[in-house]
Amino acid sequence: MLRLPKFDVARPSTVSEAVALLAEGGPSAMIVAGGTDLLPNLKHELFAPDVLVSLAGIPELAGVREDADGWITIGAMTSLADLAAHPLLARKAPALAQAAGVVAGPQLRSMGTLGGNVMLDTRCQWYNQTYFWRQALGFCLKKDGTLCHVVAGGKKCVAAASNDTAPALMTLSAVLEIEGPEGRRTLPVDEFWVADGIWNKKLEPGEILVGVRLPPGRAGHRGAYGKLRDRGSIDFPLLGVAARLDLEPDGTVADADLVVTALAARPLRIQKARALLAGTRVGTPEHDRAVVEVGEKAHAQCHPLENVPGDADYRREMVPVLVRRTLAAAARGEGPVHPL
Amino acid sequence: MAARDLHGPGAPWGEGAPGDRRNRDFRVIGKPHRKVDGLAKATGAAVYADDIALPGMLHAKTLRSPHAHAKIVSIDASRALALPGVHAVITGKDMPIPYGVIPWTPDEHALALHKVRFIGDEVAAVAAVDEDTANAALKLIRVEYEPLRAHLDPFESLSATEARIHEDTKGPGNVSKHVALSFGDVDREIGAADVRIEDEYFFHGTTHTPIEPHCAVAQYSGEGLLTVWSATQITHYVQRALASVLGVPIAKIRVVQPALGGAFGGKSDPFSLEFCVAKLAMLTGRPVKMLWTREEVFYAHRGRHPMHMRYRTGARKDGRITGVDAKILIDGGAYSSFGLVTAYYAGQLLTGPYDFPSYRFDSTRVFTNKPPCGPKRGHGSVQPRFAFEVQLDQIAEKLGMDPIEIRRKNFQGENTTTVNGQRITSNGFKTCLDEVERASGWKERRGKLPRGRGLGVAGSMYISGTNYPVYPNPLPQAGIQIAIERSGRVTVFTGGNDIGQGSNSVVAYLVAEELGVEVGDVRVVAADTDLVPVDLGAYSSRVTFMVGNATIDACRKLRAQIVEAVAGAWKVDAARVRLVPGRAIDLGDEKRAVPIAEAFRIAEERFDTLGSTGSYNTPTLGGDYRGGTIGASPAYSFTAHVVEVSVDEETGRITCERCWIAHDCGRALNPMLVAGQMEGSAYMGLAEALLENHDVNRFGLHAGPSLLDYRIPTSVDTPELHALIVESVDPEGPYGAKEAGEGPLHPSIPAISNAVFDAVGIRLKHLPFTPGKVLAALREQRAAVRAPSGGVPR
Amino acid sequence: MRTLSLRVNGDDVEVAAPDHWTLLEVLRYRLGLTGSKQGCDKGDCGACTVLVDGKPWLACITLAANAEKREVTTIEGLMPAHLRAGGTGPDPVQAAFDKCGALQCGFCQPGMMLSARALLDRNPCPTRPEIRDALAGNLCRCTGYTQIFEAVELAIAESLGVAPAPRSWEAQRMPPEEAQARARAAAARLRAEREKRKS
Repeated sequence: MLRLPKFDVARPSTVSEAVALLAEGGPSAMIVAGGTDLLPNLKHELFAPDVLVSLAGIPELAGVREDADGWITIGAMTSLADLAAHPLLARKAPALAQAAGVVAGPQLRSMGTLGGNVMLDTRCQWYNQTYFWRQALGFCLKKDGTLCHVVAGGKKCVAAASNDTAPALMTLSAVLEIEGPEGRRTLPVDEFWVADGIWNKKLEPGEILVGVRLPPGRAGHRGAYGKLRDRGSIDFPLLGVAARLDLEPDGTVADADLVVTALAARPLRIQKARALLAGTRVGTPEHDRAVVEVGEKAHAQCHPLENVPGDADYRREMVPVLVRRTLAAAARGEGPVHPL
Repeated sequence: MAARDLHGPGAPWGEGAPGDRRNRDFRVIGKPHRKVDGLAKATGAAVYADDIALPGMLHAKTLRSPHAHAKIVSIDASRALALPGVHAVITGKDMPIPYGVIPWTPDEHALALHKVRFIGDEVAAVAAVDEDTANAALKLIRVEYEPLRAHLDPFESLSATEARIHEDTKGPGNVSKHVALSFGDVDREIGAADVRIEDEYFFHGTTHTPIEPHCAVAQYSGEGLLTVWSATQITHYVQRALASVLGVPIAKIRVVQPALGGAFGGKSDPFSLEFCVAKLAMLTGRPVKMLWTREEVFYAHRGRHPMHMRYRTGARKDGRITGVDAKILIDGGAYSSFGLVTAYYAGQLLTGPYDFPSYRFDSTRVFTNKPPCGPKRGHGSVQPRFAFEVQLDQIAEKLGMDPIEIRRKNFQGENTTTVNGQRITSNGFKTCLDEVERASGWKERRGKLPRGRGLGVAGSMYISGTNYPVYPNPLPQAGIQIAIERSGRVTVFTGGNDIGQGSNSVVAYLVAEELGVEVGDVRVVAADTDLVPVDLGAYSSRVTFMVGNATIDACRKLRAQIVEAVAGAWKVDAARVRLVPGRAIDLGDEKRAVPIAEAFRIAEERFDTLGSTGSYNTPTLGGDYRGGTIGASPAYSFTAHVVEVSVDEETGRITCERCWIAHDCGRALNPMLVAGQMEGSAYMGLAEALLENHDVNRFGLHAGPSLLDYRIPTSVDTPELHALIVESVDPEGPYGAKEAGEGPLHPSIPAISNAVFDAVGIRLKHLPFTPGKVLAALREQRAAVRAPSGGVPR
Repeated sequence: MRTLSLRVNGDDVEVAAPDHWTLLEVLRYRLGLTGSKQGCDKGDCGACTVLVDGKPWLACITLAANAEKREVTTIEGLMPAHLRAGGTGPDPVQAAFDKCGALQCGFCQPGMMLSARALLDRNPCPTRPEIRDALAGNLCRCTGYTQIFEAVELAIAESLGVAPAPRSWEAQRMPPEEAQARARAAAARLRAEREKRKS
């Protein structure tokens, strides 16, 4: 069977211990949460850490709670299965619960964590392969090589952000809690991403994502997640869409947000969505026209590449379809839009 | 003994009139008994190849070619050998004798000798104290290659003049095998037809994907006995190949198939790992195991051949087919494997369940620098069947005929001979059509569902074994030994390979029915060449038919002794003694019976230790021409499917909602197992049509050698499957049984295409049916509507 | 190399293994519990599914160290647990898989049965769609899943003392009215059971 490279495992029981271990290990130490992304990547020899700092033994990192100020705090080690089944999230952050519920398959959701999904490495068909395969290819820009096989002559890695929860968190204006040698800091999830497939996150060496906080939503908050993939389980997204609609009591859109993922190195906000949808009333032809227009804008704004498996032209063609269906599901209080 | 001797008039399997084949008066046969290995598998006790651990065992790994086509200039393994923990490194020079599962085409080496022919081709192997050390050693082996032009496209390869893939290929291009056969006057018959359809079809590559990766363990004893445990479906052929390549007398080689985690044809060649573990065990004096990674299983491949097919069919106004003309280019990959047979099967197996007076096919298998293709469930005939069944629907459309009706119209019937000289015995195809028509509500629903939803039908035929053993010989194709113990326990020794299909259970059911024991008192010892008589293995859907008949043969000899002994003890005529599960009874006196163990004791006392052998060989079959025996089977199974699909015209996604599978298996020895084969076959076919694609990228690298990227369906991707068992009761099959494991795959694929036509009016002729292709076809359809006949779309 | 303190199938065991070994490797090659299978190397197929604190995990991508202080159940543990609890023979899920023909090659089934066991432990009478979803991380290449669903449904029916609906192939071989009546009766009993549990 494919073997893991040799490394030591450290099992701290507190976050500060984990931070200290990470500092001690330096660049050759890595964090492991559920391991569902890291361990396959290690078996593919994409990383060669000397030490894995496991967060599995830190009880304070798991759990969902609603604070007095209406913020929801989710520990980084909360499993995706727990998120998907959480009644509070189903009510207050449906897009996130739905996204967590369609990550991979059942076992990966019971092992995988929210923190791990946020920290998911970008993916590419020329990268997520064994050492033998990548060697036969001559390697690639993201790892061990100099050529990009997606974009001829490309100088910047375009491996795709493939985490289902990321776009949902963006529509929810989530704030990430990060702990490092300098103490704890927070960062809006919108500012977390970098358009660089090699490392698309603003997490400094030695830092750990310890939790995610969701601000209180509006009374008429609706959300949904839509996912395109070939199979109804196991697969990563070929395209993901998270939608938020804040509705007045009469169904008028007070605010809206739309984020698309699995196209490029970072999730992409559809800029015109808010302006086009705000003020339209759900169920009216005007709203329906706005939804179609948002789909067209999304189509114009999104340019899938041959980074993840699946025909890029087809993925692009599906952008407006998934956008429309996800917005419709959000308006009805339904979702996820999956399978498509 | 030929089957017809066993099952002549008055076959002793019931009380029916002589020749009455419908008799169902069985105690075991036809009942949904548990499998003999079911609970061992359910509790985790069953031992598969990688579950074997021997004291002092070394672990081996393979170095593979990173080039699609290259000469090997040199190999330097000195640094690998120097690594602590490494016990041996071998290369092609250590095993220079070529082999091939078909003896006429020995073009493979255990490890590449002078050149490599695809990315993943085996070059060297290391045995070390553990897998990590073996992997580290692989990275220390230096191989110098001289890259050659790689032929990835079969059309290019067909006419290529430089950089031959196999130097000894005859004629121009990289032709692996060419077959051209013609029956009747095709041009005249098609020329005289009322309608003609000529079209092109493409079937892509797919692979077996058993969940268990290949694994082999070898042990070499001080006496020079070599034992190889391997996840194989052909123990006998592996034994022969090991003997030939290693130069070890065949009597000194024992090959054992442990519990097998799926095969589907993917474990029916001798593979590099079997030779490597054997050689490494001989060199090191230690047991050696090699477990392939999933990626390596994809390189081993032997899956479905991509085929580029052109079909021309003529039909009369009444729907009767007048002739079929086929030209097929088969993309073979790097080696021959079963390819000689593939080239024949691609044409030979199309001549049922429909009768046509003329037929011609011209099939060419060409080598390419890709993982080698081979026999996958429905070997050679799934691809042509797809093309032809879609074309048949095109004819029905042109004639305005119902697609089921046109199939009925062309039904060939029972006890007939096909245009290419194959003997057809039982044939339940018409009942299959009736069944799927009824169960699917075809008459009420086909053509009447709302746009986006549709029904499609297709039919097929497949062999139940073939009279062509891969090496010609007059010996039994299947042999059985039975030992009876006075406790009432019966042990059967069979060379049949149970690959999950349940062949060991089938043997046990037959023995239980024949000898009057409970299924639980039959022990089956199987697929261990030291212990069992020769059987050719689990391929060509031969096991139930051939091993079943051999089992009956052995049982009848014993039963005659037991019945005679008991009759003697009771002083009654032997015809009055009947063996039923657990007892021998007197048909003339319902109060008289003895436990079966007592009957065995009486017989043992009379005849000495009880045991018998049985065997099976096919009758002489096949057309009287070169290749006429390839595809000749003692019986053919028949299948019809109706598939219900929905097509999302916005996403192009085809969802297969339901599939009705009617299959003529002769007789269902265990209907539950037959249904399992039917459902599993249909599932696999549907997956080929909609999800799976085994291909290489522009570098010749496998596009996604993992179970993440080669997407086989999960439980939520699989439609409702309804198995409709049809029993035609074959005159020569064991209790009338024929195959059920491969035939039911065929119609799934064309039935989907035909259902999509019913749903949205587009004809899908190029597999796989991806959403992108569906959307493109729908766009074309809309353009054609906007620009009616003759017009040019603006 | 570390000494792992694991709790496997109710036993506390200490086993030495390098840190980079997965739980699957420790179970199979150190503890000899070879019932957990390996099909894909890296978390794509579900054959290595074991229960960790009652939840289905993929042992092939679980660090053995991360299984410490947790309850690990493998396929070998089901029958003994059933016997300890006063049952007879194998776990009802195992028995049902055997009775329904769900075990063809059997290689994916230890993982499949553990996913099914985890489902039934948290939801004793799931619907067919719930069963499908719970098993969607366990690839089976032999059966087309139908006989697996039927096996889970048989296990449910037997645990509730309800007559099961006829299996698909059985239904096709009996008069349609009888098959429908039996399916309807079974569905009604299960619905009632679900309602009872909900309230």
